[in-house]
Amino acid sequence: MKNRLEELRKQRGIKQEELAAALEVSRQTIGSLENGRYNPSILLAFRIARYFGVGIEEIFIYEEERL
Amino acid sequence: MKKNIANTITLIVGLALLGAGLYLVKAYPSAQGVLLALPYVCIGLGCGLFGQGVSGIVNRAVLKQNPEIAKQQEIEQKDERNQEIANRAKAKAYDAMIFVFGALMVAFALMGMDFIPVLLLVFAYLYVVGVSIYYRCKLEKEL
Repeated sequence: MKNRLEELRKQRGIKQEELAAALEVSRQTIGSLENGRYNPSILLAFRIARYFGVGIEEIFIYEEERL
Repeated sequence: MKKNIANTITLIVGLALLGAGLYLVKAYPSAQGVLLALPYVCIGLGCGLFGQGVSGIVNRAVLKQNPEIAKQQEIEQKDERNQEIANRAKAKAYDAMIFVFGALMVAFALMGMDFIPVLLLVFAYLYVVGVSIYYRCKLEKEL
């Protein structure tokens, strides 16, 4: 799943470490999320959305798999 | 506080086992059968428990003085990605264990080993598979 986490974080001038501390996750989790290697749980997705003050769908872009 | 008490108890039990093991080695130098192995089992277990107790106490003391490290450690433990990695690794290890133990049991049976050790291994294997089925059913109802 693609996401705009890195873009939003950089727009606000926040470091990965600061975002990780605010969301109470590890810095590696933030890195993996930004690279699209890891998809967050729905709870973490909500926490991220609340932190940036936007809706989940504005951060995480769901694309149906093409068969 | 509870963890500190548990660490202290672990340390004391470890020291007691270590002491008992050393005493048995000195007191019964010509022991036979089970008594021959028992002191060394006590020493091994005692050393392990003593080390665990000491490390637990030192760890807590260090974390008490450095709340930032304690907070970071808590975050690392609760981190959902870390937990998923640990769970996936455990699942892979279980899958490997099922094949490895299965092959080992067949090999032991074909080698004509004693009946009892092979049977014990089969029961241990079936117990682990049983635990897996139990949790599968339990989680099926809960989730």
